[in-house]
Amino acid sequence: MSAQVLTFGALNGVGIGMIYFILSVGLTMIFGLMQFVNFAHGAFYMVSAYAAFAVAQWTGSVLPALLISPLLAAIFALVSERVLLQRTYNLPHESQILITFALAILAQESMTMIFGTLGKNVPVPEVFSGVVILGGFVYPSYRLFVVGVAAAVAVSMWVAIERTRFGAVVRAAAENPEMVGLLGFDSRKVFMAAFAFGGALAGLAGALAAPLRGVEPLMGREALAIAFVVVILGGLGSFSGALLAALLIGITQSLMSMIWPGGAHLMIYGVMTVILAFRPAGLMGRA
Amino acid sequence: MEDLRFPNWITLAMGVTLVAMPWILPSLTLASEILVLATGALSCTLLLGSVGLLSFGQGLYFGLGAYVSAILIRDFAVGAMAATLAASVAGCLVAALAGLLIVRRQGVYFVMLTLAFAQMGFFLALAFPKLTGGENGFGNVTRTTVAFEQLPLSNPLLLYGFLALLCFGAFAFVQRIIASPFGSVLNAIRHNDSRAEALGYDVRRFKLAAITIAGGIAALSGAMNTLLLSFVPLSAIDVESSERLLIASLIGGVGSPLGAFIGAAVLSAMSDFLSPIWPRWSTIVAVLLIVTVLFLRDGLLGLGRILRRRPKDALNG
Repeated sequence: MSAQVLTFGALNGVGIGMIYFILSVGLTMIFGLMQFVNFAHGAFYMVSAYAAFAVAQWTGSVLPALLISPLLAAIFALVSERVLLQRTYNLPHESQILITFALAILAQESMTMIFGTLGKNVPVPEVFSGVVILGGFVYPSYRLFVVGVAAAVAVSMWVAIERTRFGAVVRAAAENPEMVGLLGFDSRKVFMAAFAFGGALAGLAGALAAPLRGVEPLMGREALAIAFVVVILGGLGSFSGALLAALLIGITQSLMSMIWPGGAHLMIYGVMTVILAFRPAGLMGRA
Repeated sequence: MEDLRFPNWITLAMGVTLVAMPWILPSLTLASEILVLATGALSCTLLLGSVGLLSFGQGLYFGLGAYVSAILIRDFAVGAMAATLAASVAGCLVAALAGLLIVRRQGVYFVMLTLAFAQMGFFLALAFPKLTGGENGFGNVTRTTVAFEQLPLSNPLLLYGFLALLCFGAFAFVQRIIASPFGSVLNAIRHNDSRAEALGYDVRRFKLAAITIAGGIAALSGAMNTLLLSFVPLSAIDVESSERLLIASLIGGVGSPLGAFIGAAVLSAMSDFLSPIWPRWSTIVAVLLIVTVLFLRDGLLGLGRILRRRPKDALNG
């Protein structure tokens, strides 16, 4: 295999990894604040990908979905938080996991009812349907666009969390919600906002991924497992850990699909097992 | 407080029910399906009900047991009993190995790791189609004989009897574990693992032991599934298989092994009656799950005892 093909594979892997990062960072953030694993996170991603499909059908381009899908996912997250999740805050974390898990089944069944069991293709937006030539490499411009959007999201998230007043409140609420409440902030509202924002990120990942992989009802389950691997390797609550882990498994998957297509997904979990065997606390985690 | 002795009246009632089921239920297939699902759900009951470990990955061992027994029976002409035993041992071994990696991480990581390992098992089965049949499944597993070649399992009623015996064995075994001193330690860990640690118990080793046993039980039910279907579909090892076992144990109630049986009966009956009418019947299961978690905390056999332990405010976690 030539160096050129390898580089191409690695570049593709960066694109996939960036989508995995946006997907997982919402999960990490919700956990950091609310201390539970959101099993509906994959469902947010899946529903948004279907929304992207619908938008592409109506308007002829998937681009408006980059705004509509996250918005829809945020509304879905908000409604489920108000209607179901808030009833479980006084119960142990298992009940939150199980409620979000049931929510994921409901979302999957609803999408199957509306769109059917078969997968659908989502066309790449026309503006980005061409290729870019990068110093001898031919690279699909949509993938480059995905990397750009993801990088912009990562930077703005970092700024929002580290440099703004809202970010400071969010960080404080993750550390000690009672104290934040005593200081006069409504920590419930912070949780709601964070849950909606985490959902919106999953929604953006779904809309970005739809033209690359198509949409199907089971994509939410697959995405949830991938987000778990990223969080297990990167450490819950760690942004840089999530970025590193997401890029690692994205590149692994992309390179493996050129060597052994049948085992590309298997290797994601293979990498996870090997890393766990040698670093039980993950890549960046403290033991 | 539930009667924790073994054997108790529940053991007896379970035995009577298993004998009566073929004559009560409309079809022998449904009765056999209940046995398979109930045995698999027992592994989730043991983990969640005794040690407080929520596993989204028991389908990995279910699928493993299904493939191991199928390969042994079809390609190595091993008898049904020996293949079932071998499948359970394989389940224990793999669960112990995965458990070694899993118990090093605490809390929510446990849940995520079980799901990730289950997903790995699925992609393993998919990546080696020569061994597992891949998406086409592993077919032509003949039903052999048991009891020194006296009883052919091709007879549906004899097959039911054999599966019922295995299911009852697993049921009594789990009851016995819960009633044992080992079970008391597991219970202590569920209530407060740092306190159990302070009392001198090696919490990780107890968790690992429970994970190993639960893996063996799930693999046993996988082998039973192979005998019932004469076939291993790829779906035996997918995440949905894990979810089925967990849901069955949850809606029945993980407070007692009886809950696994009741949950399995409810879920299998729903699948049998509803899936021909409405393919999206899982919607009802999801609603049932929400209702169980939110409102039936004391219903369906004391699920509530699990969900109400640690009544601390989640927002303060």
